[in-house]
Amino acid sequence: MARISIDPVTRIEGHLRIDVEVDGGSVQKAWASCTMWRGIETILLGRDPREGWAFAQRFCGVCTTVHAMASVRAVEDALQLEIPANAQYIRNLILLAHGLHDHIVHFYHLSALDWVDITTIPKADPARAASIADGVSSWPGNSHRELAAVQNKVKGLIASGQLGIFSHGYWGHPAMRLSPEMNLILFAHYLQALEFQRKSNQVVGILGGKTPHIQNLAVGGVMNAINLNSLATFNMDRLGTLQSLLQDLIPFVQQAYFVDACLLAASYPEWFRYGRGVTNYLAVPDLPVDAKATKFDLPGGVIMNGNLGSVRPIQDWHDQPIRAAVAEDVTHAWYMGEGSQQPWKGKTDPYYTDFRDDGKYTWVKAPRYDGHPMQVGPLANVLVGYAAGHPLTRKWTDAALDRIASVHGSKVKPEDLQSTMGRYLARAIRSAMLSDLALQHLQLLSANILKGDDTTYNPPQFPQHEVEGVGMHEAPRGMLSHWVVIDKGAFSNYQAVVPTTWNASPRDQKGAPGPYESSLLANPVADPAKPLEVLRTVHSFDPCMACACHTLDASGREIAQVKVL
Amino acid sequence: MNTSQRNALPTPKHVCVIGLGNVLLGDDGFGPLAVEMFRCKYECGSNVEALDLGTPGLDLAPYLYGKDLVVIADAVHAGEKPGTLCIYCEADLFSRRAQLRLTAHDPGVQECIAQLRVAGHAPSELIIVGVVPESCALGEGFSPAMLSTSPIAVDKIARLLVERAIDCRRRDAPVEPNLWWLPGDRSSHTEIRSARGHVFQTSKCRQLGNR
Repeated sequence: MARISIDPVTRIEGHLRIDVEVDGGSVQKAWASCTMWRGIETILLGRDPREGWAFAQRFCGVCTTVHAMASVRAVEDALQLEIPANAQYIRNLILLAHGLHDHIVHFYHLSALDWVDITTIPKADPARAASIADGVSSWPGNSHRELAAVQNKVKGLIASGQLGIFSHGYWGHPAMRLSPEMNLILFAHYLQALEFQRKSNQVVGILGGKTPHIQNLAVGGVMNAINLNSLATFNMDRLGTLQSLLQDLIPFVQQAYFVDACLLAASYPEWFRYGRGVTNYLAVPDLPVDAKATKFDLPGGVIMNGNLGSVRPIQDWHDQPIRAAVAEDVTHAWYMGEGSQQPWKGKTDPYYTDFRDDGKYTWVKAPRYDGHPMQVGPLANVLVGYAAGHPLTRKWTDAALDRIASVHGSKVKPEDLQSTMGRYLARAIRSAMLSDLALQHLQLLSANILKGDDTTYNPPQFPQHEVEGVGMHEAPRGMLSHWVVIDKGAFSNYQAVVPTTWNASPRDQKGAPGPYESSLLANPVADPAKPLEVLRTVHSFDPCMACACHTLDASGREIAQVKVL
Repeated sequence: MNTSQRNALPTPKHVCVIGLGNVLLGDDGFGPLAVEMFRCKYECGSNVEALDLGTPGLDLAPYLYGKDLVVIADAVHAGEKPGTLCIYCEADLFSRRAQLRLTAHDPGVQECIAQLRVAGHAPSELIIVGVVPESCALGEGFSPAMLSTSPIAVDKIARLLVERAIDCRRRDAPVEPNLWWLPGDRSSHTEIRSARGHVFQTSKCRQLGNR
């Protein structure tokens, strides 16, 4: 029995420690620990709810937009305030572009190097690589010339002896199995992704006024002035710029990223057998298509015990079961007390002990749904949509599964998506869906403006008595909810239940582990000193521990460690 | 070189002054503070952007992409006393003189630069203007050490630009900085006095000199 402690897990946003006990080449026990305090909500107490979103979007440096959005939605929910249709579409477009950006960065820059061994690239035949890529995709960035140029860059990098950030990879690990040509194709797209990441950012910037930290939100709508005949406001020119940015971005998502994820899945089919973990799924509906938010383009729902037939669709944000079912358990987290509390009554009183295997061991609380751990994220989003027969989800999921079957030979079923590889694939499926929806929502916005509607804001009114609200958003990493209590025009409680809290949750009072922890059970580990396989499963969730202190350390000491204890 | 090339005006450099840090974590908000103060005290050409980017992790890459010069203002842990101004160049960052702390948003400046370098879109020059923080605990507001060094750091940023022939002038009438995150009476924080006796730690990089 070997105990491995990875502290911190690198190539993620924020600080996460993973401990596993390995016996006979696979994981027997696992603990997920966030080693930085997340009590940042306390900064909102007593503040004016109209400015809450500006602070909330500083919770995290990466997911700024999503916290801003959940915050205004929470206040609007508490006030029962409807927002104009234009405001819904503008917010949706920001969320769509942000989601695409986030998924692209996760696949290529945060996780591809768990599967792609760049040190084999010098051995690749660029002509053969170009013909492989051409056979599966019409993406123009796969030319022989382009791939040969990337190969030369990598040769130069390796010859210089300074791999830099690429020196930390587990190169030559027996679990790395792609051909040199496949490694070359994927790394070429890794570099191209830097360009497309910029384009999605520009969409957010044009609509949000600035990115990161959008400036256009308001409780009651958005602050974008719409006048098609004015140069200074949101006009036809801006609509045209957005359209052309999206038209540049979408082919990269659908012809490069989506195809790459399918190829990766077909090359590593055994990863559909690992990483299943918690098979209860929760996703909330998002991208409302009307002012009253009664209809949505992304479906929400609950699936229990991996049974897709049991899906309970969530129609809208007023869903009573969710409001009653969510509670956070602090038995194994560094907060005062034990047991669980509903977020509106939630407290954030820190109580630090050491890392105790059977006691408290993390700063992350354990959110539960009717007492059950739940998995959130693109996989939950895709599974509830597929199970409920949502046409767009079916279209892209079936396309992915057919593609894998045509490369690999054997059919992968929708149920098999409940796995480490399924989480990577679901994120790519969701990205392809978001691309289709981005153009549709731009169309909805321009059609509504051309109809003569230029309203973007309904002013809020604050009652003198106490009101409660919850703002929900299906963020890139899964269901995000901000729970607020407002008394006499000021926040008297504020709790953010974030996607990574669901997924990185510790054990609860009943001892039930969270999704990271249970997904690692039976995960293979060929070499305890190089736990690449553990990283694959942890990275499949796209961890964002967030809200951390960002500073430079000039001492140059080694901080990341893998310890075999 | 033919006549038309010689007579052509030089293409203005693409410059980005970036503030990094979390405004909700005390002195960690130095970057956003410095950018806001810089914007209010100095006026630049349209080729210069001044942006508070918070703690963007890998999302920093789009703002470095293809730039001629990037100046990053950030809190640095340099083992010096709080308030020390530290200037680093890219080589310092990679030679472990100023290494990114992994406890934070782990992928950051170094990773983005390395990626962009391979892709061929890294900034031509990167300078980090850092100040050693006193406390980065949860809460808004700055330590006296940070407040007294900040104006010096801001002037340093302007000087770095001017030395590189980039259009950057002191405003005739300074604009009031909008330090929206500071609690209570915000004006007391904007009267930042220039301090004496602050310590400089300078880069070993040749192009930065030992000023």
